[in-house]
Amino acid sequence: MKRKKERKGGRAAAPKRRGKRVENKENTRRAILRAALDLFAEKGFYRTTTKAISKKAGIAEGTLFNYFETKEDLALYFFEESLTEMIDWYQSDRAMKRAALPEKLFGIIEHLLDSLAPYEEFIGAVYLRGLVASSKLSPFSLQSQERHLRYLRFIRDVLAPAEEAGEIPRLGDLGAHAFGVFQMAIISYWLQDGSRGKEQTLALLDRCLKLSAHFLKKGGWDW
Amino acid sequence: MGLVKINGQSGMLPRGYRLGKLGVSLVGSYLGYQIQNIFLGETGRPQRKARFHKRASRQLREELGALKGPVMKLGQLLSMQSGTLPEEALLELANLQMQAPGMHATLARVQFKSALGKYPEEMFHEFDPEPFAAASLGQVHRAVTFNGEKVAVKIQYPAIRSAIESDLKLLRSAAFPGRVTGHVPSALLDEIARGLLEETDYLHEADNLDYFRTGLAGLDFVTVPRVHRELTNDRVLTMSFVEGESLSDWLKRKPSQALRNLTGARLCQAYETQLQHLRVIHADQHPGNFLFRPDGRFGLVDFGCVKRVNFDICEFRRIQEDLGWRESEATERRFLSILCGKSVPYARARKILPLMEEMLEVYRPQGAGDFVLDFRKIRQNSKVMEIQRRMTKVILQNKLFPPDLTYVSRADMGFWHLVGEIGATVNVSEISRRVSASPPPAR
Repeated sequence: MKRKKERKGGRAAAPKRRGKRVENKENTRRAILRAALDLFAEKGFYRTTTKAISKKAGIAEGTLFNYFETKEDLALYFFEESLTEMIDWYQSDRAMKRAALPEKLFGIIEHLLDSLAPYEEFIGAVYLRGLVASSKLSPFSLQSQERHLRYLRFIRDVLAPAEEAGEIPRLGDLGAHAFGVFQMAIISYWLQDGSRGKEQTLALLDRCLKLSAHFLKKGGWDW
Repeated sequence: MGLVKINGQSGMLPRGYRLGKLGVSLVGSYLGYQIQNIFLGETGRPQRKARFHKRASRQLREELGALKGPVMKLGQLLSMQSGTLPEEALLELANLQMQAPGMHATLARVQFKSALGKYPEEMFHEFDPEPFAAASLGQVHRAVTFNGEKVAVKIQYPAIRSAIESDLKLLRSAAFPGRVTGHVPSALLDEIARGLLEETDYLHEADNLDYFRTGLAGLDFVTVPRVHRELTNDRVLTMSFVEGESLSDWLKRKPSQALRNLTGARLCQAYETQLQHLRVIHADQHPGNFLFRPDGRFGLVDFGCVKRVNFDICEFRRIQEDLGWRESEATERRFLSILCGKSVPYARARKILPLMEEMLEVYRPQGAGDFVLDFRKIRQNSKVMEIQRRMTKVILQNKLFPPDLTYVSRADMGFWHLVGEIGATVNVSEISRRVSASPPPAR
C-alpha cells in the first residue's frame, strides 16, 4: 500500500504519459476483442485460434496472452464491455426515460439481443460453456461476480422508480435476480429462434413482460 | 411453433383451455336453465330464455374477446355457418374485429426492423412512435417519407401468423368442442383458414388496395390509399395518408340532411360499384374503416378482408325488385340458387320467400317501383327487427347460408348500419341502375 503511494507520488510529474499508457493498453484490449469477434462471427468460437486473433489484431501471440489468458477471458471482457455499453445507452436514451416499466425492460433485453446478433454463434458457444458450474463463464463464477453484481444493481435501479411509485411491490434484490434469470431464458430462446427477424422472440418477450406487469401491479401480487 | 405456446395469454395450452371452458360454461348455463325449468314450471319461460341467451352471448364475447386473436374470428364464421349458436350470440359476435395486442413504441420500432431490416427512422423522414389507430392484427403509425409525403404505416404484431396456425391446428384437433366443428365440412374450414392466413399477409392487402384504387378511380369522391411498395412487405404496409375524420366526429358537426343524403348516396354508389363492376367487396364495412370529410367525400381504408362476389348481383336485384319468384318456378329456382347456393334443396330454400316479401313490403310500402330507403328509420323499425329475427331463425334452422353470401350479407349488414348511422335517405334502385349503366372501370 505504502509502496504504491510512493510510486504514485514519484510519477506525479508525468500524469499525462501514464494516462496515455493506460489508454493505449485499453485500446489494445479493444483491438484484440474486435479482431476476435470478427473471427468468431466468421469461423465460430471453437475454430478460432489465438494465433489467428493475434495476427488479425496485429500483435505477437505472446502479447495476446498478456491481455487474455484464454478465449474465455476474451468472452468475459466482451460481456463487461457490453454491460457498460448497455448501461450507458439506457441512461442516455430519451425514449427509455419516458417509457413504462414493461417497455423499459423490453428495451433492455432487446438492446442486448441487438448487440449480440452479429455474434450469435459465439454467444451460443459461450452460453453452453456457462452452464458448466466450474467454467469462468458461469454467471456464478468468481470472475463473473463483479459484472453480475453490477448488472443486478443496474436492474434494481431500473425497477426502483416503479417500486417507489407503487406500480409494483417492493421486490428488492429479488426483482433483479428474477429478471436476470428471465433474461438468460430469453437469450436461450433467442438462440434457437428460427423465425424471420426472430419475431417469435419479440412476441414472447413482449407477452411475458406484459403478463408479469399485470400480475405485479397493485392487487395482482396477492394472487 | 414456439413461443406462443409457453407464454400465458395465447399459448396453445391456455387457449385450448379457454375454448374448453367456453364449451363448459355454455353447457353449464344451459343445465342451470333446465334445472330452473323443472322447479319453476312453465311460467316466465320466454323471459328467462331471452335472459339466458343474452347472458350466454355476453359471456361468449368476453371469452372470445379475451383471446383477442383469430379464434374469435373463427368462432364468428363458424357460428354463422353452422347455426350452433343462438342469434343473440351471432349479433354479439358480429361486433368483434380481428385484433392483436397493442405494441409500445419500442416493440413497434423493433418489429419494423425485424420485418424490413432497418429502423423506421432510417427509412422515413419522420416517424411517430405512437400509433394513431389499431388495425387488423397490428397498429398504424403516422410518418413522412423522405420525399415529404404523409403516409400511414401499418405494422403487424410479431409472430401473428404462427399464432393463427397454432389456432387452426387446435381447431382441427379434438380439443375444440365437437359440436361446433362437427357441423362444419373440412372444405369450409380450409376456406376459412386460407382467408385468415391471407389476412396476415400485408402484401396481399397491398394488392387489394391497388385493385380497389384502380377500380374506384372513376368515383372522384372516394379516396383509396396508394401503396408505397418500397416500404412494404408482408408485415409492414406503407400507404398514402388519407385525410378525414371518424364517423362520430363527423356527426358531431351536425351535418345537414342534404349532406347526409349526399354522403349516403355516394357510399351506396361506391358499394354498388364494388358489387357490380369490381366483383369484389370490401368485407369490413364498419364505420372504423371510413374517414369522412366535411364536403361529403370519404376515404376507404383497411383492405385486409375482401371477398369475391361469385354471383350476378344485378340479376339478383332484378328478380327481387319485381318479386320475380311469383312469376315462374324457373325464376324462383334461379333466385333461390343465387340466394342459398345450389346445394340447398329447393323445398327448404323457398321457406325464406314469404319473409322476404314481408320485408320488401316494409321497405317499399307502395308495392312497386324504386326502393327509396330511409336507413335511419329502417334501423329503428320494430317490424323490420321482428321480421329479421324470424328470418335468422329460418336461415339457421334450414341452414340456408351458403359461404358466398355469408360474406356479402355480413358486408351488407355493415353497410346498412353505416348508412343508418349517417341518417341518409337514399334511392338505392336509382343508384344501382346508374352504376350498371356506367362503363366498368379500365383495368
